[in-house]
Amino acid sequence: MDLRYTAEEEQFRTELRSWLADSIPARWRDPGFWSVLPDNEAFELRRDWERRKAEAGFAGIAWPTEFGGRGGTPGMKAIYDVEMALADAPMTVNPLGLTFLAPTVMAIGTEQQKREIIGPMLRNEVIWCQGFSEPGAGSDLAALRTSGRLEGDEFVVNGQKVWTTNALHGDKIFAMVRTEPGSQKHRGVSMLLIDMNQPGVEVRPLKQMSGASEFGEVFFTDARVSVEDNLGGLGNGWGTAMLLLSFERGASGIGQYTVFRRQYDDIVATARTFGRSDDPVVRQELAKRLVELECLRYHAMHVLTEVEQGHDLGSESSMTKLQWSEASQDLWETFDDLLGPEATLGHPRPGLDLESMQQEAMWSRSVTIWGGSSQVQRNIVAERVLGLPR
Amino acid sequence: MYFALTDEQRALGDSVREYLADRFDLTAVRGVFEDPRGDGHPRELWKAVGEQGWLAVCVPEDYDGLGLGVLDAQVVARAFGAGVVPGPWLTTVLAGEAVRLAGSDDQQARLLGPVATGDTVATVAVRGEGGRFDASGVRVRAAADGTLTGTASPVEYVGVADTVVVAATEPGGAIGLYLVDPHAAGVTVTGLDSYDGTTRLFAVGLEGVAGERLAGSSAEVLTALLDRGAVLTAADLVGVAREALTRTVSYDIDRVQFGKPVGSFQALKHHLADLHIGVTMAEHAVLYAAFALDSGSGDAPLAVSVAKSKAADVAREVTATMIQYHGGIGYTWEHEAHFFYKRAKREAYAYGSAVEHRDRIAALTIDG
Repeated sequence: MDLRYTAEEEQFRTELRSWLADSIPARWRDPGFWSVLPDNEAFELRRDWERRKAEAGFAGIAWPTEFGGRGGTPGMKAIYDVEMALADAPMTVNPLGLTFLAPTVMAIGTEQQKREIIGPMLRNEVIWCQGFSEPGAGSDLAALRTSGRLEGDEFVVNGQKVWTTNALHGDKIFAMVRTEPGSQKHRGVSMLLIDMNQPGVEVRPLKQMSGASEFGEVFFTDARVSVEDNLGGLGNGWGTAMLLLSFERGASGIGQYTVFRRQYDDIVATARTFGRSDDPVVRQELAKRLVELECLRYHAMHVLTEVEQGHDLGSESSMTKLQWSEASQDLWETFDDLLGPEATLGHPRPGLDLESMQQEAMWSRSVTIWGGSSQVQRNIVAERVLGLPR
Repeated sequence: MYFALTDEQRALGDSVREYLADRFDLTAVRGVFEDPRGDGHPRELWKAVGEQGWLAVCVPEDYDGLGLGVLDAQVVARAFGAGVVPGPWLTTVLAGEAVRLAGSDDQQARLLGPVATGDTVATVAVRGEGGRFDASGVRVRAAADGTLTGTASPVEYVGVADTVVVAATEPGGAIGLYLVDPHAAGVTVTGLDSYDGTTRLFAVGLEGVAGERLAGSSAEVLTALLDRGAVLTAADLVGVAREALTRTVSYDIDRVQFGKPVGSFQALKHHLADLHIGVTMAEHAVLYAAFALDSGSGDAPLAVSVAKSKAADVAREVTATMIQYHGGIGYTWEHEAHFFYKRAKREAYAYGSAVEHRDRIAALTIDG
């Protein structure tokens, strides 16, 4: 066991921390700063800040330098996640592109795609959306019905995607489309890279139970895309999607722990505010939540080690997802329990603003659904890790 | 970053598991389990434990030990848990740790060699009936002349021990650790009926017993000793839980009802998946806690309590599930499920229950 980062990695931490301290205005950390900004203004602030971060060399941390990345180690990426959380840095405006599309393009994209997609994404000139889920294809992605009909050297796309992050801001969408008419399940599907700024694409916000609209719906009505704008080959979309989703298996758990641990401390402070921090039942419940968060941290160090050793994580990402999503959800249920009758109030007393925590508590209901629901993840662990029969 | 065992540590674990599979399998365990009047201390096994160096892991090289740490010891503990192995390995290792942590040079020179070889069988008596596993749970008092009076229970393997490390409250409130000969005048040893047949438990009574104080004893050393007990017990629990889960999954792949393997039903699959994650997290937690103790990390107390509470909870649930998901056969004496269940039930409370450790976690993260 050796839980230290290398000297180079620690040097990277120092540089990043210093840049973050200088570049994030103090008022961005004021409670309520982001929530009172109009959505577009907030998005543009984040987009611009993130572009400057990329220019300073703090984007694509573990990407090869030939793609504009920093050429760093997996440990640097973990440090990056931690420091971003500690600095209350704005979330990326291009999460699907950076996490999923870019590494897939690097792996299997054409030379032209590598040139045209990755650079503009790093500079936030192009915001990417992911077009996977449909009203009739959630956990069962292979039931997707959005179709692409070949017309000359273009596909004419019709159908609907849903739960599309950043739909209102998106410039392009990597979408799973059935390009072989009459094909079934995972056959005959292609991953098409579709321009969202065209008459055949309509985007509508999707208001969530929290009241926010991080997601949207995307409607395709005779939208057009060149046959060449496919990733990984026509009819091979399922394989491309599986490769793409495998890039979720990074070492992000340590950064997530950092976020959750700060939330835990905020919840403890709230318990104190409400005079509940000496209640033995509340203390037991909080301690249970902390146990799961600490386990997430240890697990994340294990995963980082596996990545550094070049091991294939296989279905372990399903275990990581279950651990962090369920732990986070349970943490926010404990928050409710210690508020009690005040659990549904954003401002339980004058001067006490719990809005951002209430928003996190609402958001926690989504984390066990998106990115593969807990039930799907349990099937994966049961079948692929434990070997239980289908 | 390297959060994993070394090749040497893995090899140590493999050698323990291979020996046990070959020479002390569940049939041998059953022999000890079904002989409650026996001393629970198979001599052939003990000879091998000494010869293989499994008692020498934490003993410094100066005293003919291997000079390794808790991280290495937990490898052995985990394998013993997986095999639900009886015998005074853990108690002897912990007594050795007490001597290493608090003994004078002379005491270490005298005692650690025989501990490392297995020539001395030892145990620890740190807590009295109804007490917690901390200084407040000590029920033995040391008089000004150093004689000991009080009780400790349950204490493992006093029946075969050559020496007992006894925690005692001293005049002025300090904590001392004393070496006591269990055959000395004033010591009463009463066997306790335990449902867990993979150990032997006793109540120890002391009435003006002369003990030899470990020179560097203190409340801090008691805490360090209890933390080692908690991590190694958590490692044993993790071994129990992993083996119980593996056996249950294997049974549910083969067992057919309603024309299908019962392991194909999602009601079982999802629960087993959750248990696999729980056991995996407990494994990580034990590794981290052992390393934190070895490296003197500032968060060692938190890590120990995370590991023990997580291991206790998950082992109880997995071993109960082992019974449930074997159906009727799992509730029989003939089936081995109860070995795992009963060992987990005992160890869940040894060196601090999940609730006690969560109390400490709360103190560290809420009051801190």
